[in-house]
Amino acid sequence: MNAVLAPPRRISDLLSSGLGATVKKRRAMDQRDEDQQLVARTQDGEASAFDQLVVKYTPRLYGLVYNMTSNHEDTNDLLQDIFAKAYKSIRGFRGKSSFYTWIHSIAVNMTLNFLKKRGRRFHMSLDDVDASIQNDKEFLEVTQTSSPVREADLSELQRRLNEAMMKLSDEHRAVVTMFHIQGMPHAEISKILNVSEGTVRSRLFYANRQLQNYLDEFRKNPVA
Amino acid sequence: MDEQFDDSEIGRLLRLKRHEQPPPGYFEDFLHEFHRRQRDELLRQPLWQIALNRAHDFMMGLNVHRLASYPAAVAAVLICAAVISLKIYEAPQSSELAQSTPVISAQPVSSDNETWDLAPASVTSATRVASLQPPIHFSNVSTHRTATPPRYVLDSKPVSYESTLRF
Repeated sequence: MNAVLAPPRRISDLLSSGLGATVKKRRAMDQRDEDQQLVARTQDGEASAFDQLVVKYTPRLYGLVYNMTSNHEDTNDLLQDIFAKAYKSIRGFRGKSSFYTWIHSIAVNMTLNFLKKRGRRFHMSLDDVDASIQNDKEFLEVTQTSSPVREADLSELQRRLNEAMMKLSDEHRAVVTMFHIQGMPHAEISKILNVSEGTVRSRLFYANRQLQNYLDEFRKNPVA
Repeated sequence: MDEQFDDSEIGRLLRLKRHEQPPPGYFEDFLHEFHRRQRDELLRQPLWQIALNRAHDFMMGLNVHRLASYPAAVAAVLICAAVISLKIYEAPQSSELAQSTPVISAQPVSSDNETWDLAPASVTSATRVASLQPPIHFSNVSTHRTATPPRYVLDSKPVSYESTLRF
C-alpha cells in the first residue's frame, strides 16, 4: 500500500527541476493577465482597480526606491509621486510592455531625476530590519561563512552596505539594486532602463568592482 | 585573512537589504496617504484646470487620441479646410471684378482714335489697371454696335443689325 503512494514533492524540488521553470513562467503570465485586467478597469474609470495595483506594487517599489535613495522620507514622497504620475498617465498605457515594466520605468526615471536634483545633500536613514532576517537562509549563510560579516553586528553591516551603495553613481546603483536586491534578470533591467543588455552587464561589472574595493576595506577594519 | 569579497558574496550581502523594511504599518497606511494627497492636490487646483482636466478626460474617453495617430489624415483634413476657406473668401472679389468690366469687354479691340491714359504713380495699382484700358467715346466709334446701347428686352419685331451689311 505504501509503495503505491508517491512521496510528497516539495515546492523547492519542483522549482529546481524543469517543471519549476514552467511553473514560474505560468505564474508570471497569470500575474501579467491580472495586471492587464486591473489596468483595463482603471482605464474605464474604476479607481478601486488602481488601488489594487498600488497595494500590490508598493512593497516592491519601496525596495527599489529606498535602495536608490537610502532615505525613508524621500522614498515615501517619491512613491506617492510615482503612483500619482502612473494614475494620470495610465490612460495612455497601451500594454506594449507589462505594467510591471512600465511602473518600474516610471519609478527609476523619477528617482534618477530626483537624485540629480538632490545632489549630495542627503542624510541616510536606516529602516528597521525585519525580524524574519534571522531565519533567512541567505543571512545564515553569510553570517556563518563570512568572517568579517560574522564579526560585525547587523546594524553595522547595514550601515556599511548602504555606504557602499551610496558611493556608486546613480545609474550604477540602479542596476545593482534591480539585479542584486530585487533579483531582476538582465533583460528586464534593460527594458526598464531602455538600454542594451550589454550596457546593463558592463554597469554591473563596474559596480561590483567598486563595491568589492569598498567592502574589502571593511573586511580589513570591520569596527572602523 | 587575505580572502576577498567575490561577486557572489557581494550579491549575497546585497540581498540582505531586502529585509530592510519601513516602519510598521507603513504599507497599510500608504493607500490612505495616497488618497489624501490626491484629494489635496485636487482642491489646490484652480477651477479652470479642473475643467480642463475634465474636458481632457472626456475627450480621451471618446478615443479622440486615436486620430492623433494618423497625422497624414489630420494634415489632409486641415489642407482641405484651408483650400475651402480660401475659395469662400475669394468668391466675392471675383464677382465684383466681373461687374466692373462688362462694357469694356464688349468693345472692339482696336481703334485709331483711342488714346491711352497713363495714371500717375500715386494711384493704386487697381486704379491704374482700370485706367490703362482705352477710354470709350461712343460718338467717335464707327461701328454700329457701340452706337446702340445694349438691349436686353426682346422686341416684338426684332431689330436687325444685319441690314447694313450688303453683299
